[in-house]
This record gives sequence, C-alpha cells and structure tokens, in this order.
Amino acid sequence: MAFKRESIVPYLYLLPWIIGFTLFMGGPIIAAIVISFTKWDLLTPPTWVGLSNFINMFSAGSEFWVILKVTLIFMVFSVIITMCWSLFTALLLNQRVRGTGIFSFFYFAPAVVPLISLTFVFQLMFNKELGIVNYVLSLVGMEGPNWLMDSRLALWVVTVLCIYTYFTGQMMLIFDSALKEVPKELYEAAEIDGANAVNKFFKITIPAISPIFFFNLVTGTINSLNTSFALIYPLTAGGPGQATQVMSLDIYVNAFKNFRMGYASAEAVILFAITAMMSLLQFRLSKKWVHYEA
Amino acid sequence: MNTRATIKIFQYLVMGVVAIIMFFPILWIITSSFKPLIEFNSYPPSLFPSHLYFENYTQLFLQSKIFIYLRNTLILIVGNTLGTLLSSSIVAYPLARMEFKGRDFIFGIILATMMVPTFVTIVPQYLLFREFGWLDTFLPLIVPAFFAYPYNVFLFRQFYKTIPKELDEAAKIDGCNSWQIFWRIIVPLSRPIFITIGVLSSIFWWNEFFTPLIFIDSENLKPLSVGSYSFSRTMFIIRWDLLMAMSTIMIIPPMILYLFTRRYIMEGVKTTGIK
Repeated sequence: MAFKRESIVPYLYLLPWIIGFTLFMGGPIIAAIVISFTKWDLLTPPTWVGLSNFINMFSAGSEFWVILKVTLIFMVFSVIITMCWSLFTALLLNQRVRGTGIFSFFYFAPAVVPLISLTFVFQLMFNKELGIVNYVLSLVGMEGPNWLMDSRLALWVVTVLCIYTYFTGQMMLIFDSALKEVPKELYEAAEIDGANAVNKFFKITIPAISPIFFFNLVTGTINSLNTSFALIYPLTAGGPGQATQVMSLDIYVNAFKNFRMGYASAEAVILFAITAMMSLLQFRLSKKWVHYEA
Repeated sequence: MNTRATIKIFQYLVMGVVAIIMFFPILWIITSSFKPLIEFNSYPPSLFPSHLYFENYTQLFLQSKIFIYLRNTLILIVGNTLGTLLSSSIVAYPLARMEFKGRDFIFGIILATMMVPTFVTIVPQYLLFREFGWLDTFLPLIVPAFFAYPYNVFLFRQFYKTIPKELDEAAKIDGCNSWQIFWRIIVPLSRPIFITIGVLSSIFWWNEFFTPLIFIDSENLKPLSVGSYSFSRTMFIIRWDLLMAMSTIMIIPPMILYLFTRRYIMEGVKTTGIK
C-alpha cells in the first residue's frame, strides 16, 4: 500500500499491544523462568537456588510425579472425550433433518453459562445417596459409587464432565462449520459408487476436515490444561488426596496458598514447555497427514 | 419409504437424547431453585419441586451479598468490554490494512500467545500487580483489557480483511489519513464484529472464575462467580436451596443474551478455527 515503508504510523497503532505484551505476556514468561531459579516466600527477599526447584520436582518419590501423571491422564483422556463428543454432536447437527438449529441451541448452551454454577449442580447429581446419577443406576439394579469422593473415580468424572465446558462447545461449532463446507458432490459421487455411511465418513468426511481436526486437537489440548481449573477446583479441589490435582491446581496451591513462588514458577515453566511441545509436535504431524485440498 | 421414516425417527431420538444430556444440568439448577431445602434430601430425587417455592430467592437476597457480587460483575464486564473493543480494534487495524516491516512476525506472536495457558504467566503477573499496589482492587482485572487481548485482535483482524481495500484507496485519494480511514470507513463497516466481541467479552467476564479468585480477597469486591463459590464455602451446612437460586440468577442473563445474539456468538467462536 501507499503508506511509506519507514513510517512509524503502523507501530503507533500497535502500541497498546506492544505495552500489553511486554507487561502481561512476554515479560511474565521471562520472569517465570527467572523466578523458577529462586526460592521466594514473598515475606523475605528471593534467594537464588539454581536448578534445585527442578531437581526437587523430578527427584524420586517427589509428589510432582503424581501431579504430572494426573495431568497427563486428564489431558489425554479429556482431549479424546471432548474431540469425540464435539465431532459427534457436530455430525448430528449436519443430519439432513429439520430443526437442527433448535438442537444446536441446546448443545451449545452449557458453554455460555458459568461453569461454577454447573459444578454446584454436578455435586448434587453425583451425590452418592441422593444424586440422580446413582438413582438412574439403581433402576437397572446397580449400586452407584461415591463418584467425586472415590480416588479411583473422581479423575474420570471430571474428565467426562469436560463435555460441558466452553472449549468443547467451541470445538463443536468449528467442526460444524467445517462439515458444512465439505463439497456435497463428493458424497453424491461416493453414493453412486455404492459407499455406505461408514465408508463415506472415513473416506470423505475425515480427510476433508483433517486441518480442522488438527486445529481442534492442538487447541483442545492446551485448553484442557487451562480450563481444567474452573471445573476441577470447585468440584474436588484436587482431591480426594491428590487424585485430581492437575498441574494448574498445583501451581495455584503452591503459589497462592503455600507462597512457594519459585517452585510454582518452575511448574509453570514445565507447563509452558509441555504446551509449546504439543503445538510444535501436532503442527509437524499435521503437515504430514493433513489433506489440504478440501 | 418405511425404512426412511425409521431412520428419521432414530436420528431425532439420538439428537434428542444428546440435547437432554447437555441441557439437563441447567434445567436441574433452575427447577431445584424452587425446592425447599428439605426436598434436596428426598429420595428418589425429582426434577420438579412439589410446588413452586419462591422463599429461596427472598432468603438469598437477605443472606448473601448477591447484589454486591452482581454490581462487581457488571463493573468487570463494562470495563473489560470497553477496554478490549477500544484497544483491540485499533491494534488489529495495521495488521489487516497496512504493510510494514515485521507485520507477519508480530501477527505470528499474537497467534502464538493465544495458546499460552494463563497459569504460565499468573505468578509474575501477581507479583507485578503487587508491586503496583493493585491487589484486591479491580485494576488487575480491567487494566490489561486496554492493552488488547490477542484473541480479540485476531477476530478484528479477520473481519477487517473482508472489507474491500478499494475503499481505503478511494478515501486516500480524497485526502484522508490513516486514522480518518480507520474512523470513517473501517469502524462503521465493522459493526458486526464489535457486537460479536462485545457479547463474547460480556459472557466471558460474567463467567470468569480464576483471575478474580487470584486478585480479589475482599467479599465486597468479589464478582458473582467467585462470590457464589465463597458463599457455598462459608455456610455451616451447604444451603443447596440458596445456592441453586443463586446459580439460576447466574445462568439466566447469559442464556438470554445467547438467545438474542446467537448468530454473533456462533460467528465469533467459529472464526477462531478458520485461518
């Protein structure tokens, strides 16, 4: 365009972001790395401890291994469940029937209401003696467990409840618009060749939406690390024991309950590394696998 | 013909079951907000109260600080929505309409920062706001909005890209400078994206739980999300009746907004997936 190349005008418009990025994003990331090499309780000045936060974290018998295990289980399975659920609901919304608009209203509704309110009602619904979930199970002759208080079950309950979070709704809408863009002729051609519904799904639908599939996989993974807090903290507060203590909760507890700023920052650095690795890995893989022609 | 009808019934059945699964918790909150406390202990649990009992709401107004929480939530919504509309719309402008050194690099950073979890930056941010003396005020929750949220910059940029470049050129020939082009051409044509981001920002700050939990301590400054959580914690026994009434009050406004601005919400949410 005709604006002069050396002009500072564009940078003036960018100024709010430049300041915001420096103060609230770039600066804090660097600061987190620096603080991770210190011991700091906010009462006394920070002391330099080198790598000892990381050494403590990864030493044998450290509780961090438990946190890491819980985080990875939650991450992997919540992504699988939310990906399947959002793709399934998006496929339902693409059926050739009337009234999909009304159904989509209900499918996306949980995404717009406060998650904290939903966590209250989940506690009622999953109550051992009085909850509706165990009542339904009792109708088919099963005795329901104490879902949120059982250390083997609690993690699975919160993993499944991820289908009610905003990011699952977002993934559904993104899948939905991707599905609407798959050329109809492809299906018609396949039908002439005698393909059945399953064939059409794996041979046409999946390849056509594969870029979006990978996009959702990356954002879903990162969101599961992020949104997990507002779901898990009110529901179980990381318990029972540490059964649902994912990394976001552990950072919160260490930083703002125990005031171990150095240790919490070391965890934040690990979280940042996991996130960065996931994005890089998935984008690499997507280049290999994804069909971009559709 | 018969099999087609069967398939259709089956489709509606599956779609209906999914709708019930997704909407059931919301429905349960609303109907149980009209139950007296004693009915929360009845077995089997029933969706509907034995009769409509409005006492929960009057008790809630008397026993909780719901009006204060509501006021605080509204302050956060107005501050953040104004802030991000103002700053993000301006920041996105050169990214969409100008050519300059480092543009793609900067846009790349903005995209990358959308991926950084809040938990990575929260400790340094907390220390920074502590340094400023801003803890336990609204400032750490509102001021950052005036410095452009990456997600909203992205949405504005994508929208500006759809406005024909010829309009800028014509205005330039008429002697408009870049600010006049922005203010007289881009902004008036961008009404839909202003509405979309306004709505999404309002819903986000109505629901936001984590950052107020970190930065606010005083009961009188808590928004509804954190306020309802502390309300559930400070009771000697959990008052499910009052908590469900409070949750209903928290659910209705975003649902109404969603009902009337659904098109804008869907458009904004979907745009993230299109690169």
